[in-house]
Amino acid sequence: MSEVCCSLQVGEKVPDFELDMFDPVKCDFGKISLKKLKAAKKWTVLFFYPADFTFV
Amino acid sequence: MSRDTKFVHLAWQRDERALANVRYPMASDVTGDVARMFGVLDEEAGLTLRGTFIISPEGTLLNAEVNFFNLGRNIDELLRKVRANKHLAAHPSEGVPAQWKKSGDVTLKPGPKLVGRVAEAMKRK
Repeated sequence: MSEVCCSLQVGEKVPDFELDMFDPVKCDFGKISLKKLKAAKKWTVLFFYPADFTFV
Repeated sequence: MSRDTKFVHLAWQRDERALANVRYPMASDVTGDVARMFGVLDEEAGLTLRGTFIISPEGTLLNAEVNFFNLGRNIDELLRKVRANKHLAAHPSEGVPAQWKKSGDVTLKPGPKLVGRVAEAMKRK
């Protein structure tokens, strides 16, 4: 993925990605996978912020 | 999501009272690869800009909003966009105008009859 030169534009398909995550509901660690979210017919909101312990 | 690890996410969520009701997964983009894909990685600072992206169940990127580090986002507007996307997925021939807030509010049907008649269409109930 480090080869990607240009960021995505609205209207384009988002390549699948998988990331580690913390799930506050279960208070457990896990993975978040766009492929699995799509398979579950979920809408996805990605919400970036500069860093933890900053305001959101 | 940010470049912090899942361990720091846990510590932050536990420590910050404003996050007590967070119900969504806090993703850890340690390498910044996903941020880079969406164009929100500030390579010099190593931090991610305040970017918000809505992806359909088919995997299409439908909305993008990016603020600089010092400006927070309006969550009512984010929720409006999510509702609008769901409405449009079910009613693909319609357009959702700026004033639209929820299903049942006036939408627009682009076509010859709408040309030059948006004001009249917006008054329709």
